Amino acid sequence: MSLVVDKPRGQGWTASALLAPATIFIAISLFAPLGILFRYSLNEFVPSTKTMVEALTVANYVKFFTDPYYTAALATTIKVSLLVTVVCLIVGFPLAYVMARTQSRFKHLLIIATVLPLFVGNSVRAAGWMVVFGNKGFVNASLMGLGVISKPLEIMFTENAVIIGIIAVNLPFMVLSLQSVIEGIDRAVEEAAFSLGAPPATMFRRVLWPLALPGILAGTILTFILAMNAYATPFLLGGPTFKMMAPVIYNEFTQKTNWPFGGAIAFILMSVTLGLTLIANLLIQRRSAR
Amino acid sequence: MAQLDIQNLVKRYGDFHAVRDVSLTVADGEFLVLLGPSGCGKTTTLRMVAGFIEPSAGHVKLGGADVTLLPPWKRNAGMVFQSYALFPHLTVAQNVAFGLEMRKVPRPDMNRRVEETLALVRLEGYGGRLPRQLSGGQQQRVALARALAIHPDVLLLDEPLSNLDAKLRQEVRVEIRELQQRMGLTTVMVTHDQEEALTMADRLVVMNEGSVRQVGSQRDLYERPADKFVAGFVGRSTFLDGTVEAPGCFRTEGGLSLVCAGGTAGKASLSLRPERLEIAAAPLAGLDNCLPGTVEFVSYLGAMIDIHVRLSPADRLVVQIANREGGFTPDVGQSVHVGWRASAGQVFNA
Ligand SMILES: Nc1ncnc2c1ncn2[C@@H]1O[C@H](COP(=O)(O)OP(=O)(O)OP(=O)(O)O)[C@@H](O)[C@H]1O
Ligand SMILES: [Mg+2]
Repeated sequence: MSLVVDKPRGQGWTASALLAPATIFIAISLFAPLGILFRYSLNEFVPSTKTMVEALTVANYVKFFTDPYYTAALATTIKVSLLVTVVCLIVGFPLAYVMARTQSRFKHLLIIATVLPLFVGNSVRAAGWMVVFGNKGFVNASLMGLGVISKPLEIMFTENAVIIGIIAVNLPFMVLSLQSVIEGIDRAVEEAAFSLGAPPATMFRRVLWPLALPGILAGTILTFILAMNAYATPFLLGGPTFKMMAPVIYNEFTQKTNWPFGGAIAFILMSVTLGLTLIANLLIQRRSAR
Repeated sequence: MAQLDIQNLVKRYGDFHAVRDVSLTVADGEFLVLLGPSGCGKTTTLRMVAGFIEPSAGHVKLGGADVTLLPPWKRNAGMVFQSYALFPHLTVAQNVAFGLEMRKVPRPDMNRRVEETLALVRLEGYGGRLPRQLSGGQQQRVALARALAIHPDVLLLDEPLSNLDAKLRQEVRVEIRELQQRMGLTTVMVTHDQEEALTMADRLVVMNEGSVRQVGSQRDLYERPADKFVAGFVGRSTFLDGTVEAPGCFRTEGGLSLVCAGGTAGKASLSLRPERLEIAAAPLAGLDNCLPGTVEFVSYLGAMIDIHVRLSPADRLVVQIANREGGFTPDVGQSVHVGWRASAGQVFNA
């Protein structure tokens, strides 16, 4: 290897050696199960005996896209996830901005407060929401007690309850992604825009948004993927008739033990998530490149 | 360009006064430098003019119009930041064009003005680069061009040269000064580099602890400092503490009796410029004061030599002499005589 003379230090064997454990871990824990699952999704399922039969068929995929029950679940999942992501971005940006720019001594408390919801598991939190939003829950009891309403508001077991629930889970991820990026933007750059005649909205559009874009992308991707795969929140807050993808998949695997179909839905969910994420990123990056 | 009036400007943070009652007038086309030690309120004053900080009291007038309550984007003030604050995602040309876009200048005019302004700061041909592809000095010039392109009523510079190396700083300060004079820019610059202040300013403002201590030309500040702080801050002074016993008669804490110019009876400091003192081995004739002393410390500065002389247990002076060939250069421990005219010292009553 006499040709490779100027190799920067630490880029040869050392780097490979350092990367190896993580690579092997990911290969075993992620790609192996995915590979097996994909293979399963091409198998057949015999309902009478509840067993999987070796085959090579796309029947499971066809079944998904021809049954409105499942396509509706996919549509609901996408709709809820998009809504959640947009709301998280709109609500999260100002919050992240304040956290990044504050000079308060209590900044670290603010950050902890943001992350605090994540200290509680999804199911526990969802149970909490049930207490708040149920027919005899805190909100309805208060409103009825005050005489504002006579019948309890239907909040639990609606799409809205699920959306509110997932937003609460995902907001910290959005806020932290944005905050770290905004913190890296020199405050003087914003002031420079002001002094050159840009009012706050223009400054935001022309300076803050493009500079915060890496954080915006990271935050939206994270939020969107988490929403697409949300399980506990839709399951507990959505009620029996509300369908999102993750509970449906879980149902196929455990209740029906239909591994081939469960595998197929899992792959569809993954592909759709990946596809939408990529498209959104391309759009955002193209628009800000102008 | 326009005249800038700062009237009784105050900024309080809680019960801390960052700026207290500052009034200044910067004439059309004048270059004013705010000078003072760290934390004296220079940046705060400048940022109140730019509109980034709302004053607790007082007024800012640009070209006669009161802009105190206007946000920064409605004032026509060009600001150059210490960190330059270039837009990292925009090219040099786009950076310079930013303010023109905000003013809705039509495209052809805009391009022409961007070209002109870049030429002004000698950056023709750099329009397509991103800020990170420029050296520190070039970035500094882009920041200047960006502020100049909008034809500001007033140009505000907050330590614009502090991130440049010493040699570049000397070049750029001449460049900025020439540009400012050529364009007749009303300019306020903040610095704590005295040499920078002296070479660039029409007038200087010395601030301390939030107040203006003195306004004047370089010569005014040096020859006629208004108080002990200015005497110590502009140039160098040594102070002998003591009392004025009668006008013209000063007694140091160490008991030396000196002839001074004026002063009113009471506690006071006598300020002496090191280069206005004379030193010799034998007593000096023809001077109002001549005192024997012992050399305690000699520091060799190349062109100059500083000699610290003890006159009494409580009184010590610094004398600066030119390093001439065959000149008198005492050694540590040597007995010498130090002398000066009464007019060379200045008395500040405490
Ligand atoms: N937001 C703030 N809250 C409280 N005090 C502040 C604030 N901003 C500035 N100060 C105080 O006001 C005083 C003046 O600050 P300023 O930045 O104007 O100083 P300066 O003269 O520019 O100093 P330097 O030469 O170090 O830049 C300082 O003592 C500073 O601590
Ligand atoms: Mg400052």
